[in-house]
Amino acid sequence: MKIVVCVKQVPGTSDAKIDPDTKRIIREGIKSIMNPFDLYAVEEAVLLRERFGGEVIAVSMGPERASAVIREALSIGADRGALLSDRAFGGSDTWATSYALARAVDTIGGVDLVICGKQAVDGDTAQVGPGIAAHLGFSQAAYAARVVDVSKNSITVQRMNEDGYDVCELSLPAVVTVVKGINQPRVPSLRGVIAARAADVPVWKPADINADVSRIGLDASPTRVVRTAPPEPRAGRTERVEGSPGECAARLIELLNARELIQGVHSSCG
Amino acid sequence: MREHIQNRRYHVEIIPPKQDSEKLDADLAQFADRYRRVMGSGYCACITDNAMGLLAFQGLETIEYLGLPLPADQVMIHLNTFHTKPGLDEILGCGLRMGLKYLLVVSGDGSDRLPRLQPSDVGARGVSSVTSVELIAYIRARYPSYALGAAFNPYEPPDHEFDKMERKLAAGASFIVTQPIIERHPVVDELLRRYPRVPTVVEAWMTKKLYLLSDVVGYKIPEDAAYSPIDTLRKLHAWYPLCGVYLSLLGFKVQYPIVEKLWKNMPEASA
Amino acid sequence: MRITDADKSSYKNVWIIAETAGGEIRPVTYELIGAARGLADARGSIVAAVVIGAEPDASLFAYGADQAVVVNGSEFVGFNDELEAAALNHLIEKYKPEIVLCAATARGRALIPRVAVQTVSGLTADCTGLAIDPQTGDLLQTRPAFGGNIMATIRTSNHRPQMATVRPNVMKALAPDPSRTGGIVRERLPDGAAPNAKRVIETVRGGETGVNLADAKTIVSGGRAMKGPEGFEMLKRLADKLGGVVGASRAAVDAGWIAYPHQVGQTGQTVQTSLYIACGISGQIQHLVGMQSCGCVVAIDKNPDTPMMKLADIAVTGDLFEIVPALTRALG
Repeated sequence: MKIVVCVKQVPGTSDAKIDPDTKRIIREGIKSIMNPFDLYAVEEAVLLRERFGGEVIAVSMGPERASAVIREALSIGADRGALLSDRAFGGSDTWATSYALARAVDTIGGVDLVICGKQAVDGDTAQVGPGIAAHLGFSQAAYAARVVDVSKNSITVQRMNEDGYDVCELSLPAVVTVVKGINQPRVPSLRGVIAARAADVPVWKPADINADVSRIGLDASPTRVVRTAPPEPRAGRTERVEGSPGECAARLIELLNARELIQGVHSSCG
Repeated sequence: MREHIQNRRYHVEIIPPKQDSEKLDADLAQFADRYRRVMGSGYCACITDNAMGLLAFQGLETIEYLGLPLPADQVMIHLNTFHTKPGLDEILGCGLRMGLKYLLVVSGDGSDRLPRLQPSDVGARGVSSVTSVELIAYIRARYPSYALGAAFNPYEPPDHEFDKMERKLAAGASFIVTQPIIERHPVVDELLRRYPRVPTVVEAWMTKKLYLLSDVVGYKIPEDAAYSPIDTLRKLHAWYPLCGVYLSLLGFKVQYPIVEKLWKNMPEASA
Repeated sequence: MRITDADKSSYKNVWIIAETAGGEIRPVTYELIGAARGLADARGSIVAAVVIGAEPDASLFAYGADQAVVVNGSEFVGFNDELEAAALNHLIEKYKPEIVLCAATARGRALIPRVAVQTVSGLTADCTGLAIDPQTGDLLQTRPAFGGNIMATIRTSNHRPQMATVRPNVMKALAPDPSRTGGIVRERLPDGAAPNAKRVIETVRGGETGVNLADAKTIVSGGRAMKGPEGFEMLKRLADKLGGVVGASRAAVDAGWIAYPHQVGQTGQTVQTSLYIACGISGQIQHLVGMQSCGCVVAIDKNPDTPMMKLADIAVTGDLFEIVPALTRALG
């Protein structure tokens, strides 16, 4: 099985601070990490290769320093990787990003399966995985929680949704996006990290992937951010409730009733 | 472990390089330097396992990669419950091959990046999660040549903590290492009264940053601006003459040479 | 597709993609119609509800749609992205809607990106605000970015249709008016439109993966202070009384007390319920960004000074192991 796994470098926010004036995340000094959901994508690709043989190729798009996430994928089992990096890719929205990644998949050639994390934690759009499938004309399954079966020509997955799940069979080639919990991503070994550090990560320019330059970057992106602003602060003051558990419960019910958040409940104790 | 105490052999904590280190070579070199220094002093090097939930490389893998010696009585590896079953068996098997004897078994700090041992992995029944008790029992049964240490947190409610200690010892722990203490601690005194025959090592907090200690033990430690690690270490020896001492976050530049003379030059304790 | 200003007038009307499950129209559909109604009125156009793989009913009109566009047939079994996208592509090409709205659900967020790529349209995910720019007539789409720390407003100037997914429980459905009616347009899926479509083998409702945080009106959420899985059983009893579901902070999920689908926050689900009861959750930023847009936030904690207790509309200071059972009992 030839598997491409798409990974993204995102700002790690585990120690994020919010600027009290601008209400924005202070990005200075924040480390970049692999998008947490992509770790599950890499692990699933490596698990499939371990079961069925083949090759795992990690692909990312970003500035040159984003090669770090390719190396991280290599350290946990990907066989090779490539980074799409060029000024011409800059400012791409999800349409243009999924086009560029689809071109990379096509350039690699003979790919059976593309795996992505369900979404990136910085943009939260979940659009790039299905977008890649659309550009390539592949079938797709988003929010996969389990790979049920793989045959020469198909993959069967369990997809999560709000009501439960379904099981569907996709003909290959296909794109699958995975949720947290589909596996337990392995932690890199010291030897793995040292080998990945020395690996060659090729940088691909638009010409290397036969990308139509009118379809990449800011100019090719249908959407444009026209304004950013901090979110509206939560209105109103905090109402404090104290007292015995019974008093707290009674007062809380009174307050929730007043806001019509619970209907027809009258506190019986006070 | 008893010999460690009799021979005034310090337990010196060494933290392996972090997974996300941006200066891995320098961190590896520093690990090797510190390790060799501890070996040279005849002390016991104690290698942590993802301390504070921060991902670090495995101690044994780091020792092996750097080609460092592993004298059985001079190395203790911390082992927590955040492993896969194959990962755990690999560590334990590798330790045996390398001649490791001492393991400090701890429940450990979580991280969603780490797998968690499941009760079925360690043959535990009737529990919903694996703690150090189940892990100790598993290692005792499968890898009987290891000497297993149990951690003791005197900051937790004592009844609960003594109950857990009873179960850890019943499962097969043969020595105890406390959480860092910075004063004579009544719960540690009680521990020593209850288990006079179990070799016990008290942990000394060797950095002035007491707020970090609050994070480690999970309870707010009153901050004393004038906290002196070396003075406290000296007092710990006086308060607990029959205990070994574990040095956590020891400064290798300034503190190490002082510490090397400190216990050695103290008068004989009266048992 | 990419267009010039001169082409803009050939794209008309506001479409919403009805969210269906097992043939039933789901409530978020009416929220989409509510949002679309305002936009269509501002543009002087009509609202059409597109129903794929299911049948329309009168409720679509009662809630404000002027028209239903239907593609249905025996080929639609379960949620089939490839077939549904092919049907939508066909409809969009034929009828040229100006705006297409879809629910930001597992189905909508999988389906619409495929359509947006294939029709070369702009797509904005997870909108919490939609408005028409009075100068240009373009759709202004507001969405939280960076885990909710920034609100970004996004415009699609040179492509039509303008597509957006809309978070459930944000837009308001209109009061239904049963006397409203509308026309139904039926279309067929073109032959061979999706040669590599998947096969949905089975669809299962419920189960552990089916915790529906996104659609819930009330969430009772617990953190590290719940101490163990038993604590979450206590929260479940309260949630059941309130007709809600149980959420959790990452700390509780990492501790193994409750499964990941319950996790609220940056690496879990972003929720926007009318009532969010946070029990023993201190309020790390990653959690807050996942729930700070909820209508009413109640915090219960013994420490009155946590970020969550400060953010809450109602902050109850005390032992949650006493207050939660007392509240559950008092609710009858």
